[in-house]
Amino acid sequence: MSHAHALHPGDDCFRLAMNSSGIGMAIIGLDGTWREINPALEHMLGYRGAELIGRPAARWVHPDDAEHARAQTEALIDGRIATVDAPQRYLHRNGDTVWVHANAVVMRSPAGAPLYLLVQLRDTSAQRQAEAALRANAEQHATALEASNRQLQLFADAVSHDLRAPLRSIDSFSALLAERAGDALDETSRDYLARVRSAATRMGSLLAALSDLSYATRAELKPAAVDLSLIAEWVAAELQEAEPERSADMRVQPGLIGVGDERLLKLLLTELIGNAWKFSRECPQARIDVSGETGEDGALRLRVRDAGCGFDMRYAHKLFEPFQRLHGPEQGAGHGLGLAIAQRIVERHHGHLRAESTPGGGSTFHLELPAAPAP
Amino acid sequence: MTNKEILLVEDNPDDVELTRLAFEESKIANKLVVVGDGAAALDYLFAQGKHADRDPAQLPSIVLLDLNLPKVDGREVLQAIRANETTKTLPVVVLTTSAEPFDVEASYALGVNSYIQKPVDFEQFVWAVKQVGLYWLVLNHPRSS
Repeated sequence: MSHAHALHPGDDCFRLAMNSSGIGMAIIGLDGTWREINPALEHMLGYRGAELIGRPAARWVHPDDAEHARAQTEALIDGRIATVDAPQRYLHRNGDTVWVHANAVVMRSPAGAPLYLLVQLRDTSAQRQAEAALRANAEQHATALEASNRQLQLFADAVSHDLRAPLRSIDSFSALLAERAGDALDETSRDYLARVRSAATRMGSLLAALSDLSYATRAELKPAAVDLSLIAEWVAAELQEAEPERSADMRVQPGLIGVGDERLLKLLLTELIGNAWKFSRECPQARIDVSGETGEDGALRLRVRDAGCGFDMRYAHKLFEPFQRLHGPEQGAGHGLGLAIAQRIVERHHGHLRAESTPGGGSTFHLELPAAPAP
Repeated sequence: MTNKEILLVEDNPDDVELTRLAFEESKIANKLVVVGDGAAALDYLFAQGKHADRDPAQLPSIVLLDLNLPKVDGREVLQAIRANETTKTLPVVVLTTSAEPFDVEASYALGVNSYIQKPVDFEQFVWAVKQVGLYWLVLNHPRSS
């Protein structure tokens, strides 16, 4: 029990309150020495009040927090701050660190003169332990989730890989059947056979897209300065070569340099320009523009614009989701993975991709590549 | 050249049939010998086991090798071919489903002459096999035995 000078001689109620409190409480003199300590604080620090009274309280503050505590105390007494309310570390008799949440105020005379400091310390050890356990738990879950995702990707890869051989059989033997028995079949039968081949082709294209998506996700990034103008021209040439009968006016601004993985950036532009090409099918002439500029922050802002069929902005939020299509097959829609692949590549480069469009008025895809992507 | 055989190491009977058709279409008249697993491939090439009655000096002009085979893996077959004095310079073309970098790397490290990923599309598959056949059997000058 502390035997300090009685502060309020008649106020046994307040003394009882202080001694009953479950929160560590102390009255500290302006000279920084302990004056009164309640049993909760004695227990918290492992000392009897008599061992502390008259000694500088700062000695029981953890060395790392001491300087800050001293500065705060000064500010309190000066009246620059009204209260200190913050985590703090104290030292137990046995050398252990005691984590507390401290609240300190100045006790003033009716005239406002500072008399003492009232300090209340709430032991937060249990709370901190619980928080640490939660964090460890969350980290464990994050690691497990990552491992699970990796396994899922490997499984998806294995499955799409193993589907290739039977798909080849389906495609090949229906083609051979059409060749050999074609004349003997009636028109409907030939149509059915054509549908089998067509479905096999679509499936082949889907498997290839899944493979691209997996590659975009897993491939190691090899960042370098990449001439995107050159790549865009290359992609445009490939598209025209595949469909030489289509009339096209494709313009690529020269000198668009971005930082990133060349192979992934080529895949990205293949998806974006390929989309522009695909959805300009209805136009007598496909008009595609690739332009951009480098900002002051070193980031490249690139636009792929087409004058094709466009899409309804109401569905813009679905645009980059896998398998979501905003058009029917007659408008040129494919497997619905192209923009998901594009988005994945942009994410890996810590960039940004968005689209704007009006139905019948073409679309513009805005791509932003930061100056130096994080590894 | 026309009396030299083509050894096809392939476990998928559909792919065997398609390969045969492709060679037929390109008028490549060499006899196509088919084995369905890696062990049979080694037996054939080294004239041992069930092919012990073969003349070991008579080697095929080219080996078309799938990688994923029962019993003995395609990679092991390739390794054995390159390790043996007689078969060391035998042209081997890997014809397989995978185009994974580690598969390609491993094959070239083991000394494959060429690596072809089997197309899923029928016409492209036939075209690929034709190209391989015409190149190695018609255009390429073999090492004299």
